[in-house]
Amino acid sequence: MIWLSWRQQRTEAALTAAMVTLLAALFVPAGLHLASFYDHGGVAHCIAGHKNPACAQTLAEFGSRAGILRSVVPWLTLLPGMIGVALAAPIVLDLEAGTYRLAWTQSVTRGRWIATRISFGIVMALAAAGLLAVLFSWYRGPLDKVFGRFDGTSFDLEGIVPLGYVLFALGLGLAIGVVWRRTAPAVIASFLAYVACRLFVDGWLRQRFVAPLSATWSINARGPNLNNDWVLSSGVSDRAGHLFGGDFAALQACGRVAFKGAKVLNAKCLARHGAGYNHAVWQPDSRFWEFQGIESTLFAGAGLLLIAFAAWRLLRAD
Amino acid sequence: MTSALETRGLGRRYGSQWALQNCTLEIPRGTVTALVGPNGAGKTTLLRLAVGLIRPSAGSVRVFGLDPREQAGEALPRVGFLAQEHPLYSGFTVEEMLRVGRKLNPGWDDAGARGRIAALDLPLEKKVRSLSGGQRAQVALTLALAKRPELLLLDEPVASLDPLARREFLQSVVEAVAEHELSVILSSHILADLERVCDHLVILAAGRTQLAASIDEIIASHRLLTGPRGEAEDVSRMHEVVRESHAERQTTLLVRANGHIYDSHWTVHELDLEEIVLAYLGQDAVRRREAVAS
Repeated sequence: MIWLSWRQQRTEAALTAAMVTLLAALFVPAGLHLASFYDHGGVAHCIAGHKNPACAQTLAEFGSRAGILRSVVPWLTLLPGMIGVALAAPIVLDLEAGTYRLAWTQSVTRGRWIATRISFGIVMALAAAGLLAVLFSWYRGPLDKVFGRFDGTSFDLEGIVPLGYVLFALGLGLAIGVVWRRTAPAVIASFLAYVACRLFVDGWLRQRFVAPLSATWSINARGPNLNNDWVLSSGVSDRAGHLFGGDFAALQACGRVAFKGAKVLNAKCLARHGAGYNHAVWQPDSRFWEFQGIESTLFAGAGLLLIAFAAWRLLRAD
Repeated sequence: MTSALETRGLGRRYGSQWALQNCTLEIPRGTVTALVGPNGAGKTTLLRLAVGLIRPSAGSVRVFGLDPREQAGEALPRVGFLAQEHPLYSGFTVEEMLRVGRKLNPGWDDAGARGRIAALDLPLEKKVRSLSGGQRAQVALTLALAKRPELLLLDEPVASLDPLARREFLQSVVEAVAEHELSVILSSHILADLERVCDHLVILAAGRTQLAASIDEIIASHRLLTGPRGEAEDVSRMHEVVRESHAERQTTLLVRANGHIYDSHWTVHELDLEEIVLAYLGQDAVRRREAVAS
């Protein structure tokens, strides 16, 4: 039974392995380069707090060294979806092609067939997503220290959430496929559903997992360091933290030329216009693993429910 | 000894449509049974119920006294099933299909399976998708036989085959029956396909069992009677009238006789199996006979 599962899923397994290998071939050299520049190019020094005039330039160069790969990375969050859906496809194909009538009339019971095929899919999906997560957590390690790991692109690829995503995609592929029994439309529909759910969680739900922190401080004061945090909103505000919604041109009146053409803004004048403070709302970097846990549980839980539904449907199907 | 297959009031509904209804029959062990009926008569439904692919909406089905769905672990190894479309994994080689059989069946007869494939001149490394329809049917049959079932269910096994492949396929079935102690149920909408190999017959039409008996018994009991009009009632009191047709002065009856027919009013003709089956299937056997007679 395990051999049969492997034989029927080996094309998808080979494609996944080829994809992981290709990505490793791209990102391992790039990661080594970044790590080396981080250690020896002065980045670690600057991050450690030894500010010197060259640091701003060093950090900018560090960012640009990540190069074109850095702009490719956000798209890679679609990979767990593709892998999960692809691994569900062979099982749906068995239903579409009628070969389940062959499989379910051998001596092995239907229950065992379902359990083995699905477990095999789960193991392969988790292995592929796990490898990707390890690869990207390692690659982005130095970048994360400078730019944080809580913004969309790195949060989605690092830690444990890819495991939740891949289970969710596998569950969608199985549940939709078992009901629809047609492979191509089921694969497309599952992938679209995966993207829609991810967009909803990324764009709306995730920032609400835990109430964010917020602070308001005078423009003359030094605000909190939010470099590595996930800043949800920030801007000029009044003392109570209401963001300035008026015309910035009106604030010109509060400025006066101090010396050599540089303008200095009068705080009291700004306060009269409903400005004069900075306000920020953010999720702190320290909540990274808490958020990873919540999001993984959410997607893995939904995925396992969908998988259980598909198994139940198959067991009762006739 | 329990029967190979036994159904009691068996029915299966799809939505509000009954595909099979109130089917009660018993198929003894060691028989080769033809399951005949027009398309949509419920043959496929009956066979799928027998192997547990689908569940009954009414009544019960037992193979060797076992519920094929609830007791699948015990029942499945004893039943071989060949679906109508001869499903095989199209990307697998013949060798890999044999491996599937070996992995999924503890009682797998590997030597027997390889012997059959070799005798058929099928190359083991060939992909299933590049086989002809006849070859595919033979591979599927090999899989079903090498499982060493006690009951083999073949759903329209020759419908998609050309005449030569049909003969070869049925020959394989006959050989397997002779070699192993095997009960077989084959379905077809054309009796001629199966007549040569079967000793029992079940006729399904409109989702119901019309007739279930051994072929010898069927031939011995069915007669065509022609006689004067208006005396059919006397006959139907004694015997089961399957079909009747009336001309101006003459009545023709096809009866399943309950003992001998002594009535001197009637001329008694013997019938061949095909004519009997056609009569049960509601076709024009009686009228055709009349046309020939006149």
